[in-house]
Amino acid sequence: MSNENQTPAKKLTLKENYALMTRDLGWETSYQPMDEVFRYLKFEGIKIHDWEKWEDPFRLTMDAYWKYQGEKERKLYAIMDAFQQNNGQFNVTDVRYIQALKVFIQGFSLIEYTSHRGFNIMSRELAGVGPRIAAEMQALDELRHTQTQIHTLSQYNRYFAGMEEFPYMFDRTWYLSIPKSFFEDAVTGGPFEFIVAISFALEYLLTNLVFMPWMSGAAYNGDMATVTFGFSAQSDEARHMTLGLEIVKFLLEQDPANVPLVQKWIDKWFWRGYRVLALVSAMMDYMLPKRVMPWCEAFEIYFEQNGGALFADLARYGIRMPKHYEVAIKEKGRISHELWSIFYQYRDAAGFHPWLPSEEEMDWFSEKYPDTFDKLYRPRYEYWRQLEKEGRPFINSNLPQLCQICQWPMLFSEPDDPTQTCYRETEYKEEKFHFCSDGCKDIFCDEPEKYVNAWLPVHQIYQGNCLLEGVDPTAPGFNPLAEALKYMGIKPGIDGGSLSASADAHNWEAWTGRPHNSHEGMVTEPAAKAA
Amino acid sequence: MSFQLTIEPLGRCIEVDEGQTILDACLREGIWLPHACCHGMCATCKVQVTDGEVDHGEASSFALMEFEREEGKTLACCARLESDMVIEADIDEDPDAQYIPLRDFTGMVTRVETLTPTIKGIFVRLDTPIRFQAGQYVNLGIGDLGISRAFSLANPPSSAEEIELNVRIVPGGEGTAWIHEKLSPGERVQIIGPYGNFFVRQSAKLPLIFMAGGSGLSSPRSMILDLLENRFDRPITLVYGQRMHSELYYHDEFVALAERYENFRYVPALSHEAADSDWSGYRGFVHEAANQCFGGDFRGHQAYLCGPPLMIDSSITVLMQGRLFEKDIYFEKFISAADGQQARSPLFRKL
Repeated sequence: MSNENQTPAKKLTLKENYALMTRDLGWETSYQPMDEVFRYLKFEGIKIHDWEKWEDPFRLTMDAYWKYQGEKERKLYAIMDAFQQNNGQFNVTDVRYIQALKVFIQGFSLIEYTSHRGFNIMSRELAGVGPRIAAEMQALDELRHTQTQIHTLSQYNRYFAGMEEFPYMFDRTWYLSIPKSFFEDAVTGGPFEFIVAISFALEYLLTNLVFMPWMSGAAYNGDMATVTFGFSAQSDEARHMTLGLEIVKFLLEQDPANVPLVQKWIDKWFWRGYRVLALVSAMMDYMLPKRVMPWCEAFEIYFEQNGGALFADLARYGIRMPKHYEVAIKEKGRISHELWSIFYQYRDAAGFHPWLPSEEEMDWFSEKYPDTFDKLYRPRYEYWRQLEKEGRPFINSNLPQLCQICQWPMLFSEPDDPTQTCYRETEYKEEKFHFCSDGCKDIFCDEPEKYVNAWLPVHQIYQGNCLLEGVDPTAPGFNPLAEALKYMGIKPGIDGGSLSASADAHNWEAWTGRPHNSHEGMVTEPAAKAA
Repeated sequence: MSFQLTIEPLGRCIEVDEGQTILDACLREGIWLPHACCHGMCATCKVQVTDGEVDHGEASSFALMEFEREEGKTLACCARLESDMVIEADIDEDPDAQYIPLRDFTGMVTRVETLTPTIKGIFVRLDTPIRFQAGQYVNLGIGDLGISRAFSLANPPSSAEEIELNVRIVPGGEGTAWIHEKLSPGERVQIIGPYGNFFVRQSAKLPLIFMAGGSGLSSPRSMILDLLENRFDRPITLVYGQRMHSELYYHDEFVALAERYENFRYVPALSHEAADSDWSGYRGFVHEAANQCFGGDFRGHQAYLCGPPLMIDSSITVLMQGRLFEKDIYFEKFISAADGQQARSPLFRKL
């Protein structure tokens, strides 16, 4: 027994163990120069002198990662099973909350998938072993999030409209081009722009603004499945956020020439991310029957205070607050209302059912938005309620002009005048381009070639590119808007339109015996329940 | 009731109060553990318990899975001790830390010197010598008031029997008033120490910059005296600032040291010296003097800062603008109750 004479090897510290399982897996290539292996590292102008200076923000090895994620999945799916067995979809507050879930499955689940693709690229293209492994794990996380979101919401899909064609809709529906084009802009940047955009600007700076209303909103509104999904994702999110901080620190410390590039990307991606999150502002304020907090408060906590503290520290590197942040602050009392008004006007073209806020909700808005709501938005809602009562509800049947960058309709107001819509334009190669804000215009002017061919849904409709195969635009009675909706995967009267008239509302009342909107009461006769 | 917590791989042992979390206890002792959400959700602060009983507190069952609990993992931000405990955490060993255990000392005041109109030098002969690392501090018991105050040791570790504390009178402060007014030679005092992680990381073998201002000279002085005594062979620069010449205590000592040691450079700076005085040194603040002295480029150095918060803050800014980053900047951080109130970003671990 020769083993008896051997002294046991000294136990490795976590750090040594991590180094052997990660850093040691990289090598300097000899058949090909490293520049050929990592071809995209130089073209953005970022200078990296020493990848070894990368400080791993967390030390998770692949073997531990699989074990940990596997266990999380088992737990999540056990709870999802219980949720389905208990018909948990009927335990949520009311059918308005279901509309919020539609926005998520339509608008967010597939940007997680695009993010998965982006981090796969990172895990191939970054030369440092530490960041490459972190990117690989995040790529897997994002894929897992897409999948678990779809599975979490699949139970709702069995009972409610608007969810079954979400991948089809994501590529075609007008308002979904907003998140889609956002993430495709990021993925088509260079590796350093992508990672600053997503890991820092989105995951670190803005993610709490998504996660908080979504998860707290789910908890407040009785959605056990989504809350459980949230818990299972949150430990991944913490890793993504620390990666975002580390990448920015690393770039800033590696070379002074990186500072202006990082600043430019922070400017751009703060604004891009903030514009996408406008959707969340409307969800938070309008779509949660039991509300968590108003958007303006969440913005103050998660951006103004926490973000402010971060930028106070980043100032030491010569980084300042993102350009146009002050516009975002000016807009915090307005965007959710401006946005909801747009969805209401275009409710027939939406993949969910917008509604007018109740008296109780308007009083809450008056209290939470004392400077803006009563003056600017209440009169409009009251007028629209009156029209609904008179049986001639307001509908906007013109298509809106879209911003060339964020692809939102021109719905945002002038930073200093909430009664005027903000329009910006510029000319490039003898063509005019239109923008919703100075922030979006700046992004265009910096890289016009990237955006001149943006797929803007309204332009595409008018150019006749949004028609299903076999549709003949010259046929008598051709209705371009109805055909465009079909192309986008929206079934008129089923997926969109008024909430109180929807199949969702009628089914909900029949199946649960509870009003579809707890503020407005039943729309169906109690007899319908027995039927 | 409190428990002993040993943190591997450091081998450091700290006291943890009942109900106090591992994370809180470690951070207060200057042991930085990775952490983020601080309420059991994100799992950034996961540590391995190798001995002892732990209460996992409100750790989320997703952030700390059942199988991990069985393997002895816990989340430091929620975990509380139910016995003495040993943990292994994901932290770097500090090759320069000596982890000298805390001890109680008694001693007698031998001299009280007036260094400036507001700062006194208190010399105490200890009954048993104290072992400490240059830069560390002690707590001095304040007579019958039942309170104590923290002061950095101004003497080098080689003078372990007679220690020196430099005490600035804080307007309205009862502790420093007692020291200035009541403490005289022959008085018996009680001291606990040494505390703190502010010591020179000599193993990096880098040239050193010390930046000191106000009553913050004690630690840098102890460190510099210790380095020179032990023939540290890299360049050492002390940038030392006061408002005016009459406050520039130990000026002559440093001038003499700079003459004697080739690798020691002394840069005094006065911010409010009368314009017509015969001061020929730098006029301005410490960070400005340092910036001029190094031509705005601090790369390849280590910096040690000691002084009022504003000086520390301006110095960090100037160092980072000169491309010296967190990893190479050290200072003693005194956490006051107000610090916990404002939103803090997790960008830096120690700055």
